[in-house]
Amino acid sequence: MSDLANETQIIKTSDIVKHTKYKMPGGIHPEEYKTLSNQSPIRILSKANQLTIALSNSSHLNGELQVKIGEVICKGQTLFASSEESMTNNTHSPCNGKVLSIDKLNTGHPSGLPLAAIRIEQAIKQNSDTEKQRSHQNNQQNESWVNISPQDIINRIHRAGIVGLGGAAFPTHIKLKTSLGKVGTLIVNAMECEPYITCDDKLLQEKSSEILQGALITAKAVGAIKILFGIEDNKPEAINCLKKSISNLIDSNLNNHDNKNYTLPKIEIVIAKTKYPSGGEKQLIQLLTGLEVPQGKYPAELGMLVQNVATLYAINQAINHNENLTQRLVTITGDSVPQPGNYWIQFGTPIFHIIESLKIDCHNISHAVFGGPLMGNAISDFNVPTQKSTNCIIFDSNKKLINNNREASHSACIRCGECEFVCPVSLLPQQLFWFSQSEQWEQLEKQDLFDCIECGACTYVCPSKIPLVGYYRYAKSEIKYLNTKHKKSELAKKRFENRENRLARIKAEREEKRKKTAEARKLAAQNKEQDPDGKKSAIQAALDRVKNKKEEQS
Amino acid sequence: MNLSSPFIYNDKTTSRVMLLVCSALIPGILVSFYFFGWGTLINLVLCSIYAVSAEAFIMWLRKKPIMKALSDNSALLTGLLIGLSLPPMLPWWMSFVGVWFAIIIAKQLYGGLGFNPFNPAMVGYVLLLISFPVEMTSWLPSHEIAQQHSSFLETLQITFVGVTNDGNNLMSYRMLADGFTMATPLDESKTAFSRGLMTSEIVENSHFFSNANSWFWINISFLIGGLFLLANRVTHWQIPTAMLLSMTMTASVFYLYDDQLFLSPWLHLTMGATMLGAFFIATDPVTAATTPKGRIFYGVLIGFFIIIIRTFGGYPDAVAFSVLLLNIAVPTIDHYTKPKVYGSQKEANLNG
Repeated sequence: MSDLANETQIIKTSDIVKHTKYKMPGGIHPEEYKTLSNQSPIRILSKANQLTIALSNSSHLNGELQVKIGEVICKGQTLFASSEESMTNNTHSPCNGKVLSIDKLNTGHPSGLPLAAIRIEQAIKQNSDTEKQRSHQNNQQNESWVNISPQDIINRIHRAGIVGLGGAAFPTHIKLKTSLGKVGTLIVNAMECEPYITCDDKLLQEKSSEILQGALITAKAVGAIKILFGIEDNKPEAINCLKKSISNLIDSNLNNHDNKNYTLPKIEIVIAKTKYPSGGEKQLIQLLTGLEVPQGKYPAELGMLVQNVATLYAINQAINHNENLTQRLVTITGDSVPQPGNYWIQFGTPIFHIIESLKIDCHNISHAVFGGPLMGNAISDFNVPTQKSTNCIIFDSNKKLINNNREASHSACIRCGECEFVCPVSLLPQQLFWFSQSEQWEQLEKQDLFDCIECGACTYVCPSKIPLVGYYRYAKSEIKYLNTKHKKSELAKKRFENRENRLARIKAEREEKRKKTAEARKLAAQNKEQDPDGKKSAIQAALDRVKNKKEEQS
Repeated sequence: MNLSSPFIYNDKTTSRVMLLVCSALIPGILVSFYFFGWGTLINLVLCSIYAVSAEAFIMWLRKKPIMKALSDNSALLTGLLIGLSLPPMLPWWMSFVGVWFAIIIAKQLYGGLGFNPFNPAMVGYVLLLISFPVEMTSWLPSHEIAQQHSSFLETLQITFVGVTNDGNNLMSYRMLADGFTMATPLDESKTAFSRGLMTSEIVENSHFFSNANSWFWINISFLIGGLFLLANRVTHWQIPTAMLLSMTMTASVFYLYDDQLFLSPWLHLTMGATMLGAFFIATDPVTAATTPKGRIFYGVLIGFFIIIIRTFGGYPDAVAFSVLLLNIAVPTIDHYTKPKVYGSQKEANLNG
């Protein structure tokens, strides 16, 4: 047995790390600025007095509020419970404290519109009793996840309020549910290809075994037998840490013969060359497997599920430690930050609190961005809180985040085709630009506008500094609007036609009725002429009755 | 700041791209100056002034910001390209007509930078070539074999008034040591072929040899400039490579068929405007095909037509004609060479 074990081990360690042999088209190599924030260890940000918890990042909510204004709440308590099928997710209190208000607030939605949110006053004194109680409960509930059924794992993930932490914030339980039974390979997205962002990198360096556990849990939940960690070659420390964790896991699994009914999935680290946007879900799949997700389909079509490392960490915390998702690792970086690095930040922490506690030079900030510089959103208001999707905040004084777009109009497109060389989806960005400019919606759809992932590579390289992605966003929303409008008008047309038909029918029926009564009246008038007293007709009627009766009897 | 991502850009701007292309012309300009004297430089200065003034004039007419249009350096580049294509000592007003026609008719009337379907420099050049064929094909000989050399002042005089103080005119400077005149090697070989001479006889002529030598070095210097552009990723390899390979292949077919009736591929590559065309004219982004595959088709067809027109056409060189010919074909080429979109099931989208 031990011989066999050694043999497998030898094969496995040499097998863990691989370089991918596949390529993706296009891509850019912007300056990374990652060393700004990945040189210091992970720290915890001081707690804010007030937190603003957004209930959803879309305008429709599907679920039930669990707290009232003025209610005293404790850390991890559910604030909002979503229904299982909905796209909204559960939210929990990141702290002990009191509910101040439930209202529509600016929570940093890209549109800038206010959305439903709960404001909490944080109790600075720790209520140690409840804390202890909770942790006691946690210990009691702790059992090996190997024995939990996949459905239960997914339910627990739903209850813990876990969403995709790579930035999209798509509810994880829905992603898992739709992949259930279809997926053979779990792909872990550790590419982190955007400049500045290092939170996944640092998390892998410090918490690789937890992430690995999360990956195993997820693989079990969907029935995956293979786990691929996709990572760029600019993160050697993270790769090393992950490699160690994996070989430790394989060792312990070989020594541990308790779980005869559990087989460890095949685990590999696949290294890709650093190139933006290798971390896009579709691009990652292409880089790791050489396969393309068919247009309009999900990765499950290819038997794959992609999860971000931070999400897997959260899954591990939820299943193994019964922790709800109430904080995340956020990269705070940029040249205006005196101590750039990665911080654990409670959800709902307002930006101004981060600025104050990290002593960020507020007067010099010319750019404040949520997320990376290529796909992030500008921060318009420092009262806005951090959210589940906030993986990075950049405070920059200028220069690096060059913006030549200050002029009202950009220069003309010279059709140089740089954009075509960098498009990871092989679109023709400048053709899309021409069609967007001239509002030729049909042509745009034919040119596969909706396959654009808005990675911004085309805009990054454009020598005329045309905000191409802006044009595509405009065109996409315009087409969607026109399509709904078209559908609506079709519906209205149908309704109108139906109404016309109905009116015509009623009119015809009325006409018919009128005709009938007119005829009856005419007949009656005629009869009256021939038979003024109605005797004749009465006799005739009596005769008819007798006749009918006879016929019936015979 | 803008409110929509992305928030970073690389430092390549249109005006820098154009300036880089202009600076990549410098080796070619210096070598041309060495072989043909002041006429080259005077042409370049005149054409640049004409081009910039034409652009400013039309911007003023169109009530658009003049400095913004000039700062993209595209007019300057057009002026330089025409200046390099014109024979030295061409009368000043001819270059004026060519350049103003190029900027105003071929570029601005279509909407300005980015909207013109035809390469403006080549439109200007072709206009002059078919309007003034004699002047446009009267090249000076290489300075090694010329009977007399003109000073800066004499060149200016010929360009502006046609005659110097000593009574010399263009013809006096075109004279070779033995009293004959000679045009460009391509022109010379065309005339020689029409007189029934063999390739070997043409090449053995010592005048032809030293003239061809000067054109060889001019082409090499444009090649160096072109490689500089490729190294700086200002142009992409597809068009020049496809064009040069296609020229080689097409010329080889003829040459292998009969090496006495046709010029060798080597001569085709090193004579005339080959390298200038491959790296600076066919690669004009506005008028070239834009899809990666389309660029290859575009380059191949330009190369093919250059050899065909040089061999069978009425004019000695053909870069301008084939570039313009292919400019018309660009929309069609782009349409049929659309790359396969990620995850798309259809092989190529032909209904786009």
